[in-house]
Amino acid sequence: MSVADLQRAHPASHIHPAPQGFISKYIFSLDHKVIAVQYFITSGLFFVLAGLLAELVRVQLTQPHNNFLDAATFNEAFTVHGSAMVWLVAIPVLTGGFGNLIMPLQIGARDVAFPWLNMLSFWLFPPAGILLFGSFLLGAPQAGWTEYPPVSVLASPGTSMWCAAIFLIGISSTITGLNFLVTIIKMRAPGMTWTRMPLFVWASAVTAFLNFIATANLSISLAVLFIQRTFHVPFYDPVHGGSPVLWQHMFWFYSHPAVYIMILPAFGIVSEILPTMVRRPIFGYKAIAYSSVAITLVSFMVWAHHMFTSGLAQWIQLPFMIMTMAVAIPTGVKVFSWVATLWGGRIRFTTPLLFVLGFLSTFTLGGITGVFLGSVPADVHEHGTYFIVAHLHYVLFGGSIFGLFAGLYYWWPKMTGRMLDETLGKFHFWLMFVSFNATFFPMHWLGLLGMPRRVATYDPAFHGTNLFVSISAFVLGASMLIFAYNALRSARRGKPAGPNPWGGRTLEWMIPSPPPYYNFKELPVVLSGPYDYGKPLPYLNVDPAIMQLADAPAY
Amino acid sequence: MAAHAITMDDAAYAEQRDIRLLGFLFFLISDSVFFGSLIFAYLYLRNSVPIWPPPGIERPDVYLAAVNSVVLFGSGVTMHFAMEGMRRSHMRRFVGFMLSTIVLGALFVGGQVLEYVKLLPVDKWAGSTFGASFYTLTGMHGFHVSVGVVFLITVLVQTLRGTYTKDRHFGLTAATLYWHFVDIIWVALFFLFYIY
Amino acid sequence: MELHLLERIFAGIASIVVGAFALAGLVGEWKKTGLDDHVTKVMMVLLTIGCVLVILVAAGLIGRV
Repeated sequence: MSVADLQRAHPASHIHPAPQGFISKYIFSLDHKVIAVQYFITSGLFFVLAGLLAELVRVQLTQPHNNFLDAATFNEAFTVHGSAMVWLVAIPVLTGGFGNLIMPLQIGARDVAFPWLNMLSFWLFPPAGILLFGSFLLGAPQAGWTEYPPVSVLASPGTSMWCAAIFLIGISSTITGLNFLVTIIKMRAPGMTWTRMPLFVWASAVTAFLNFIATANLSISLAVLFIQRTFHVPFYDPVHGGSPVLWQHMFWFYSHPAVYIMILPAFGIVSEILPTMVRRPIFGYKAIAYSSVAITLVSFMVWAHHMFTSGLAQWIQLPFMIMTMAVAIPTGVKVFSWVATLWGGRIRFTTPLLFVLGFLSTFTLGGITGVFLGSVPADVHEHGTYFIVAHLHYVLFGGSIFGLFAGLYYWWPKMTGRMLDETLGKFHFWLMFVSFNATFFPMHWLGLLGMPRRVATYDPAFHGTNLFVSISAFVLGASMLIFAYNALRSARRGKPAGPNPWGGRTLEWMIPSPPPYYNFKELPVVLSGPYDYGKPLPYLNVDPAIMQLADAPAY
Repeated sequence: MAAHAITMDDAAYAEQRDIRLLGFLFFLISDSVFFGSLIFAYLYLRNSVPIWPPPGIERPDVYLAAVNSVVLFGSGVTMHFAMEGMRRSHMRRFVGFMLSTIVLGALFVGGQVLEYVKLLPVDKWAGSTFGASFYTLTGMHGFHVSVGVVFLITVLVQTLRGTYTKDRHFGLTAATLYWHFVDIIWVALFFLFYIY
Repeated sequence: MELHLLERIFAGIASIVVGAFALAGLVGEWKKTGLDDHVTKVMMVLLTIGCVLVILVAAGLIGRV
């Protein structure tokens, strides 16, 4: 296929008329970039609310027998904290936020495959959040984000609202997953083969697959819990032959792939930032791309490692233990590739890169404790303790949230047309990194010494450490205010960014900041991969003045 | 899409059709996961007790179900021939086979209702794990068939209005795939509840 | 029961007819190459298997009575 063939008018190359009116432009918008901003704002709000719940939990735990929250309210606080962070923050912001904003730009498309469904996906999100937080009015669920029967069947009227909320967000994710995978398969710019795609697009593709396959399973589990509670249909009730372990199997068959839904986009973000900030090709492009596929497939085969203490027969535990060890291998391949990319490069220690380094260190540590937990004998000792809380926060906060901030600092100029202040950004990073480790590292030995998780009171021997953790957690929460201030300041007097402040080579940097509604005046033609620093940019139909900026980054 | 499908040029239509087909197939895969999940729950519950069905449960009538099944499978075949009619612009054939499909589909739903009316006095939904799995799974399937009947009626009406033609009829393609999907889910459920 | 016998006869004969037409349709579709055509072929095969199950049930060879 010649370049001329590729350049021949692509059916999708016509530009549709601009949206008119406030409602079409900003409320019920079909534009993936506007929808992305809507996701960012909504999940930002839920991040604050869920974070406040965590701070309330930490206030209660400053003393062994505190009266700040009674036991029921404490349970409600950690349950809604976990549920909100997973379903109203991590999943929407990484997929609905970054996926929507960046993926279509990186493949050289004008929008996603089904823009109306994209809009629907977003508008299912605020009602879901209202239902989840509204459950406090009826008595919020108390059994943790995992809501095991029989507690989830018998207690807390608000659990039904929780079911409805997560069901809605599940439908939203399933539609988005379907939408994004079709977009990536069918709407890449002429010449962009699979191995010329940016790694964030690879990450978006595998995440989309997980989203529409795994989430359907969650929706059914929730629907069944709902009918069990409302109509007493005995799936999970042992009195009539049901089984609480059935819930665990059904729940974790989704929820283990879900944790990969929360981390794979962050892996993609890291793979984008590193070549740009280190000014050299990413090490092991194919290894990173194919290991994402491997992680996706193996993620369906490990779910019962969350159930090692649920009475499973040993012949079941053993294969899950082996597969859990195995799933760490492709992730290890990625970590080694990222480190190899840094090695010998000319590193620019900008805020996005600092967050990437923060991600690498904390996520890797979390991954290591995950391998410990994958071993059945170790897990039997550590399950249900603060060791798990430490592990999960190192991978989810260290992984998804540090990844989120890395992406936010990196793509903020593209989204808004203005830079965030670098000094404030670095201050935010260091305060967050130090307080994060101070909060969650001690939890490893709290867990090993036997402090259970999800408890409002504890043995006084753990007092000192818990007090230290709580104070660190307050500092961690406060560090977010620096980002909020930086964001507001950028809106008022942030430096204008131009199309390519970082000197990136992927297609989103080849258009103005913020991009026009149609993204590209003419669809670009792609001649090779995006990470070959030192070689000319492999694009046709892209503004030459903008192309030059890739060689002369402003930061 | 139907409304402005007529105005798109051929290349644009072909591209849109491809994209929508892939999206619809992914939707069917995701729907399969819904059923797969419930089937897993049924098999898990069934395998955790030594006797199935649990004591006191009356088995549903396998011969009624066999009749109902052949009605549904028949509707799958008439749907296929309706599609062939559209592809060859034999509009009368198309309308005839579509109507047959709709009637057969509605008969299937009626047959399921009859099955429930016979069974519910003895086997309650909330009374046992048998009731839980049987009614939830077949109910979910019956719901899918009902939605399918509405889908088919809509496509038929759209065709009579001239929206779908020999060369541009993605809505009909989607309806056909959905209808076949609902059929093969029933093959699985018929096997799991009436044979296995 | 008389009703059962009627049901078995009807189901048995009807599923042979339906199965035959399904196979005829399948043969007609066999050469087509589109994605939707491939999916249709798979579904038609499974539908035919469904007809076979009904025949076996009607004959009393399988099925929980």
